[in-house]
Amino acid sequence: MKPLADFMEPLLRAWTGPLTSELVQTPGKFGLGRVPERLKPDATVHSVCGYCSTGCSLKVHLRDGEAINLSTNADYPVNIGMACPKGWEALTPLTAPDRGVTPLVRDKGRTQPVDWEAALRVFVSRVRDVQTRHGKESVAFLSTGQIATEEMAFLGVLAKFGMGMLHGDGNTRQCMATAVTAYKQSFGFDAPPFTYQDFEESDVLVFVGSNLCIAHPIMWQRVLRNRNNPEIIVIDPRRTETAMNSTQHVALRPKTDLTLLYGLANLLIRMGAVKREFVDVSTTGFDAFAEFVAGYTPEKVSETTGLEIAQLEKVAGIIATGKRVSFWWTMGVNQGHEATRTAQAIINIALMTSNIGRPGTGANSVTGQCNAMGSRLFSNTTGLLGGHDFLNPEHRAKVAGVLGIDEALVPTQNSLAYDQIVAGIESGRIKALWIIATNTAHSWIHQNSFRELRKKLEFLVVQDMFYSTETAEMADLYLPAAAWGEKDGTFINSERRIGRIRQVSKAPGIALSDFRIFRLIADAWGCGEMFKEWTSPEAVFRVMQKISVGQPCDFSGIEGYEMLEREGGMQWPLPPGAKPEKQRRLFEDGKFYHPDQKAKFLFESPRPIAEETCANYPFVLLTGRGTSSQWHTQTRTGKSDVLRKLYPKECYVEMHPEDAAKLAIGENRRVIVRSRRGKLTATAFLTATVSRGQVFIPMHYATTNQLTYADFDPYSRQPSYKYCAVSIERADG
Amino acid sequence: MNLVDELLAEQQNMKAAAGTFADWHDSHDTPALEKYYRNLIPLTKPGSGEQYAFQVDLDVCSSCKACVSACHNLNGLDDHETWRDVGLLYGIGTDEPAVQTVTTACHHCADPGCLNGCPVMAYDKDPETGIVRHLDDQCIGCQYCILKCPYDVPKYSKKKGIVRKCDMCHSRLSAGEAPACVQACPNEAIQIVKVTREEIEARAKETRRLVAGAFDSSYTLPSTRYLSNRVDGEKLRPADAYKIHLEHTHWPLVIMLTLTQAAVGMTVVESFHRSFGLGNSWEWLTALAVFHLGLIASILHLGQPLKAWRVFLGLRTSWLSREVIGFGMLPPILLTVSALDWLPMLERFRVFGAGIAAAGAFMGLLCVFCSVMVYADTRRPFWNLPRTAGKFFGSTLVAGLAGSQIFQPSTMAYAILCIALVVKIAGELAFLRHARAGEWSPDKKSALAILGPLRGVLIGRLALAVTGAALCGNVSLTAVGAMCILFGELAERYLFFRAVTAPKMPGGI
Repeated sequence: MKPLADFMEPLLRAWTGPLTSELVQTPGKFGLGRVPERLKPDATVHSVCGYCSTGCSLKVHLRDGEAINLSTNADYPVNIGMACPKGWEALTPLTAPDRGVTPLVRDKGRTQPVDWEAALRVFVSRVRDVQTRHGKESVAFLSTGQIATEEMAFLGVLAKFGMGMLHGDGNTRQCMATAVTAYKQSFGFDAPPFTYQDFEESDVLVFVGSNLCIAHPIMWQRVLRNRNNPEIIVIDPRRTETAMNSTQHVALRPKTDLTLLYGLANLLIRMGAVKREFVDVSTTGFDAFAEFVAGYTPEKVSETTGLEIAQLEKVAGIIATGKRVSFWWTMGVNQGHEATRTAQAIINIALMTSNIGRPGTGANSVTGQCNAMGSRLFSNTTGLLGGHDFLNPEHRAKVAGVLGIDEALVPTQNSLAYDQIVAGIESGRIKALWIIATNTAHSWIHQNSFRELRKKLEFLVVQDMFYSTETAEMADLYLPAAAWGEKDGTFINSERRIGRIRQVSKAPGIALSDFRIFRLIADAWGCGEMFKEWTSPEAVFRVMQKISVGQPCDFSGIEGYEMLEREGGMQWPLPPGAKPEKQRRLFEDGKFYHPDQKAKFLFESPRPIAEETCANYPFVLLTGRGTSSQWHTQTRTGKSDVLRKLYPKECYVEMHPEDAAKLAIGENRRVIVRSRRGKLTATAFLTATVSRGQVFIPMHYATTNQLTYADFDPYSRQPSYKYCAVSIERADG
Repeated sequence: MNLVDELLAEQQNMKAAAGTFADWHDSHDTPALEKYYRNLIPLTKPGSGEQYAFQVDLDVCSSCKACVSACHNLNGLDDHETWRDVGLLYGIGTDEPAVQTVTTACHHCADPGCLNGCPVMAYDKDPETGIVRHLDDQCIGCQYCILKCPYDVPKYSKKKGIVRKCDMCHSRLSAGEAPACVQACPNEAIQIVKVTREEIEARAKETRRLVAGAFDSSYTLPSTRYLSNRVDGEKLRPADAYKIHLEHTHWPLVIMLTLTQAAVGMTVVESFHRSFGLGNSWEWLTALAVFHLGLIASILHLGQPLKAWRVFLGLRTSWLSREVIGFGMLPPILLTVSALDWLPMLERFRVFGAGIAAAGAFMGLLCVFCSVMVYADTRRPFWNLPRTAGKFFGSTLVAGLAGSQIFQPSTMAYAILCIALVVKIAGELAFLRHARAGEWSPDKKSALAILGPLRGVLIGRLALAVTGAALCGNVSLTAVGAMCILFGELAERYLFFRAVTAPKMPGGI
């Protein structure tokens, strides 16, 4: 029988054939291991990912110069061969059907495709018209943390020095303005001090308002590589994925973090955990701070935060005995009504325990967007290029000198912040707006008001890779931009690492990179002369290097793009002659950037929340990241079939089972969530990962920000997305 | 050249863009990631009695889901195709809030449901590695493996007309490389290990299921092992535990089952008549036609109908194979009876007609039994043996009686029809009581699906049955009545497919 079966087998069973061959693998070379034969590359390049601030390096597989597939860069010091699903899917949005392929002009309500010459005529004539009638300052721009640093610099210089605008801000206002302000005030410069290696070197890691596991999964990888069996303290009202991985989950009441941190500082002082020598040499203001926090007794803190005194003491004890304690915060801190002081409360604890400037330590802000850090230095919005100050005449002279322009073109006052620009539209101060690579109509807090305000604008230009974003659909003029992957430049990641992004794909239609769009506009506006040297991203990179000279961020020692490729990116600072090491942290010498070289203890009494819960709106609404496969307003992640499978399609609201029972809301019931500003319908998901009296809705759904309350941190002007009062009822009545 | 043209040309020039700093040398034969995954795959091939298996450490999975997209890219899958899925487990109650992501692919079972159910042996359990491979060019696209797999692993591609699934990157493993998911996990949560069948059996007995909400492991003996010390698995439930999900309709199958059963029913009634010498050649011919319509519908269900000739290969284990073979043997018998009825030249053989008809009817009932087993063998509760047998044989009886009313109306047959219909529908309605059960179960979800999103079909089904029964009582309207009853059964079968609760690994919110 066996010989017969062996003879029959190949006749009866098709082990090969056209369908089988689709998946056949072959050695891919280029260090790839086996790849599908169909997708074997003839070259590879490395490019930093365009989603979050982790700054992973991706390996793009090319054939005939164009991307055909993508995997990860095994040897980059950031991601050591890994990426999250967004990174793996980075090429997919490039071929989405709603990519803008030509400029669109709105004419009597209808949009018409036009060529670049016509689009530029419209742009220049309409903007000039508004500026003539309402003054130059009546035109503002809203930029982004998603484009290359060279493009940000181009935009900032063009808009402010070329076109005479005064006001411009970025969507980074929504994500890390707080960290910027906190660092500037405390350290004297916006300087996140850490390097990712610190995740691996700590023996205590404290995460405040950070769901690192899903917001920055590749940073979490570094936490798991920590061989010190570290204590992981997670301060978050929700039992998030990160809280699940903690050794201590501190589930405080929402927005009581400032009180908690002052309470911890007080306990640490009482425990004798203050490193007096460091405090005396490297800081100012500690004694006043100690006196201030003395009032934050465990009893008082326990009452405010809802935490047990025993847990407060335990957490303080862990920090006190830790040898290398690092503190990490993200949007849970940054997006609060007293966010700057909260971030500084974290900084204060790091300073007083001397957990800064050493491996595995630091008061570390984990940034959101891929190039938020580039924007912080070079967007030329609220700060002058290169971390300079518009109010400082020396700075103005220096920058004008490097750029070779008349110093009088540099504004002598600061720009309005994002919310003030929005308010300016309301008051009639802002009449035209140029929005670049951000989806304001979705993401801005209390978004219904922005939709109303659109009507007050005489001219709205939106420059984006998609013509279909909520904001682009409102535009009078739409400019089609090339996307990540279709242009060159650099990003700066959370640990200050400058890395390369690469063009690996053509842009669709006549879409152009933002860099080239700015070149065209400069030319059409008549200020092309100012940019005659700005012909390529690398040329602009060299200009930025010159501007950085003498600043804490000085990176003029970088030899050029080639060095970034070779070294696996480079962290600032790198002044000429400095040693280009793979991992570098700041403040190792205990010297800070204030004139006295000391860091400041800054503090202030907590202030009440603007919209407390009440009988009509009894629940606190928390918002945040839903899954690792979603990004912001989903204009890109929503284009990938794979990513779409990895997150819930419909808006849902997490609520505590006991709260649900009281309202007779069953599992998977449709409910209406209502705030004073709007309402949405969602599916109830009952889970004790949120506490009683709280509900959570992911920020990615278009309706979420119709509920949020527009309160702002007074120093950073960052909106408070994490707290507003809502009511919940069954949708079927 | 003006600036616009110059910049447009620059934008489209890929040579300049990718040419600099690109890695053009193909000298790096060693995979660059090898240093990270070296310890995550076995050093040696499985020994005798051993197989490869996934081992997932849930305690270090951080929910990033990179495994899914890495598998997608590195295997070159279609845009929407994923061989790995992720789901969520949530803590039950309020004491211990917990959330746990579960990544899952093919479990390369020791006793694979897909393989056992496949009618054409398109699955192969590799004797050396134990990897359950799918032979893409062997597949006929019947999708029965999808129904058989309790983990929702095989994925059907309409475009290709076949299913595909995870092959544990067998080609990579044989070259000493790690599977894509193993390579891509930032937390080293996924490993390949070697296990023996005894270990798999023992674990199936001991833990009963892979993770909370997963199907009873004793069915297919899945080889994957999930490690978890952080949370008590007993206190978790899948995030989609309460989600009502409508399954695929499978229209060709709905039509095929209803029509073949109606036809078999008519042959049964007709052969009963014939045993008394009361045969009606038109009725038999009609049954023959209805049966063939059903067969045509079934062919439409296949993604690769031209390869279906291999369908006998699965006879040893596959009820689908048996059903198809049975269906294939029936037409000659049914045709013979009609030939004897109609062809004058065969008149002298006509005496055998009743006997052959009876044999055909019996054979037909065996086919219906095979149909029942096709579904009962999936272990889906809504399709368990008594329920499916009740429905399929019920349809056979009801539609057969209704059909024969057209040709040979009889009060007796009408009475039996009405009673059978009432009993059948009572059974269907009685099932809906599960909607009110306190505990969530697959039955409760099926009942809720029928009463919820499928309510309109349920009402239609009842209305058609009542109308049909009423009309069949009127001699001049029996044909219309029989059609109503047939369509009522069709609606019942539609509910049968859509409301079934398919077992699967935990899903998302």
